[in-house]
Amino acid sequence: MGVKIKQIDEWRYLIPKSGKMRVPGLVFSSAQLMPTIKEEQSLLQVVNVATLPGIVNYSLAMPDIHWGYGFPIGGVAAFRTEDGIVSPGGVGYDINCGVRLLTTALMASEIRPRIKDLVGALFKNIPTGVGSRGKIRLSTKEEKKVAVQGSSWAVKKGLGTNEDLARTEDQGVIRGADPETVSERAYKRGHDELGTLGSGNHFLEIQTVEEIYDHEIANVFNLFEGQLTVLIHSGSRGFGHQICDDFLKEMGTRVRESGFDLPDRQLACAYINSEIGQRYLSSMACAANYAWANRQIIMHWTRETFEKILEISPRELRMELLYDVCHNIAKIEKHAVDKKDITLCVHRKGATRSLPPGHPNVPEIYRTVGQPVLIPGDMGTHSYVMAGSQQAMVETFGSTCHGAGRVLSRKQAIKTARGRAINRELEDKGICVQSRGKTTLMEEMPEAYKDISLVVEAVHMAGLAKKVAKLRPLGVIKG
Amino acid sequence: MNANPLNYEIIDHTADLGIVVKGGKIKELFVNAANAMTDLMVKADISEKGIKRKLIVEGEDLPDLMVRWLSEILYLFSGEHILVSAMEIGSINPTRLHSILSVVSLEKSRHEILREIKGVTYHQIAVEETGDGWEARVIFDI
Repeated sequence: MGVKIKQIDEWRYLIPKSGKMRVPGLVFSSAQLMPTIKEEQSLLQVVNVATLPGIVNYSLAMPDIHWGYGFPIGGVAAFRTEDGIVSPGGVGYDINCGVRLLTTALMASEIRPRIKDLVGALFKNIPTGVGSRGKIRLSTKEEKKVAVQGSSWAVKKGLGTNEDLARTEDQGVIRGADPETVSERAYKRGHDELGTLGSGNHFLEIQTVEEIYDHEIANVFNLFEGQLTVLIHSGSRGFGHQICDDFLKEMGTRVRESGFDLPDRQLACAYINSEIGQRYLSSMACAANYAWANRQIIMHWTRETFEKILEISPRELRMELLYDVCHNIAKIEKHAVDKKDITLCVHRKGATRSLPPGHPNVPEIYRTVGQPVLIPGDMGTHSYVMAGSQQAMVETFGSTCHGAGRVLSRKQAIKTARGRAINRELEDKGICVQSRGKTTLMEEMPEAYKDISLVVEAVHMAGLAKKVAKLRPLGVIKG
Repeated sequence: MNANPLNYEIIDHTADLGIVVKGGKIKELFVNAANAMTDLMVKADISEKGIKRKLIVEGEDLPDLMVRWLSEILYLFSGEHILVSAMEIGSINPTRLHSILSVVSLEKSRHEILREIKGVTYHQIAVEETGDGWEARVIFDI
């Protein structure tokens, strides 16, 4: 799309400042990943983000970058709070979409014959799919409590433990969530969706630890080869989608009224200091908290399902939360810019926080080795556990990649999958799948995604996170 | 209700799903766009009779009006579990649209869900008059 880009070193590519760009673009990638990135419009989106007021250092892109709407997916951008903007499109519709990884005391080899039963039971116990209505019905009053309290709401209801909260990013709550800033429509959409997985790329996966790269860190994370693990990928459901929608429309109108020229209408934004900017951040926090409660509840039902199907006690199962990260979020954080600590609004749109060893926001149990960074693959390929790094603090406001990143459009994926039985192909690879939506399996087929090992290698080599372990899927439920 | 496949085409977009939809007249374009979006989400019987419901949408220009119109129909689907089985646009100008919708309750036993649309985006939104009618380009978040 005519974006000039030059390679700086093996893992970094610079988009020099031009036109209305306020800062240059910096793309973390590799010779193997770059050709597909150049084929689509994501680099132009990196340029567009660089034009927004208050942006600091660079408009950044992780190696899983692909063409999104407004911001690229895999994009990271930080804005000064005093004169910068916040953009709902820089967070996305699925506010606090994220993943959590559960470890167990079991070896996958012992459970192998029971995977099919487990997948079937999980599929029954955890509502999945479009408009899936949960087992929980909330009054608006109760929904507002979820929006303020996040994961701890679920724990108070007996759906988890305090230990779970300690092992969740920000303890599963963003402070400053004002439930009165959220629309009636959002509450209506959210009242029966708490504890539902959703559809699209969301999934729950039973996995095994296939390879350990860093034994010292793996020990601290309680990961060992052959271990059975579970990964949950979900977000804020219709509650978050509606909040994004409401604010995009309101901010879009204000932007046009003020005569501010945006390169893409989806980049609608507001100054962080403005009334609407603050109101968005408050509503976004409500959605983020809803998402954390959602994943907490899904985890609780996962524990219950395993105990019942395998007929073992919680003590034998020891299904513990390793960590929970969000990868669609805007956060107010302090970072060093030009040797001064300043307050920024860091947008991570398809990017994961990556805090180094010693950082006060890393749970105490992991503080010596850094924050666990969870990189989910797609349903047929590996996922990775990494550890946060100091280099990420220096270059990317403590951020790294969030997944494989798509390479095929949904249209191309359906075309490629036509006439094939994707679930049988996965079964042949030893992966048992149950899904709800008819087109989901085709659109989410393994070939639709980049090779995650290349993405992980690029961030590892660039120093944005450190490889710790590789996980292989055994069973998947999808919406 | 599934739209005539000739009325819309899926366009390549890496993360999400986009459509290019056509209509002879502007009213037809808006009806076809709504039918196309529903067609992407659900497989349903075209002959279902529904309850009439009035819907007025306001926007700042035609592209904004298109996003808001589709967002309203998407909200009915995801927020109220209502399927629009037919619609008639009474009047339309670049900032306002009056319509009468025919709606039925969404039931999984009768309506096969194909995929979830999270939102109707403004990304590269376009509503334009072409040589032989009207054309719109819309990208949905999936």
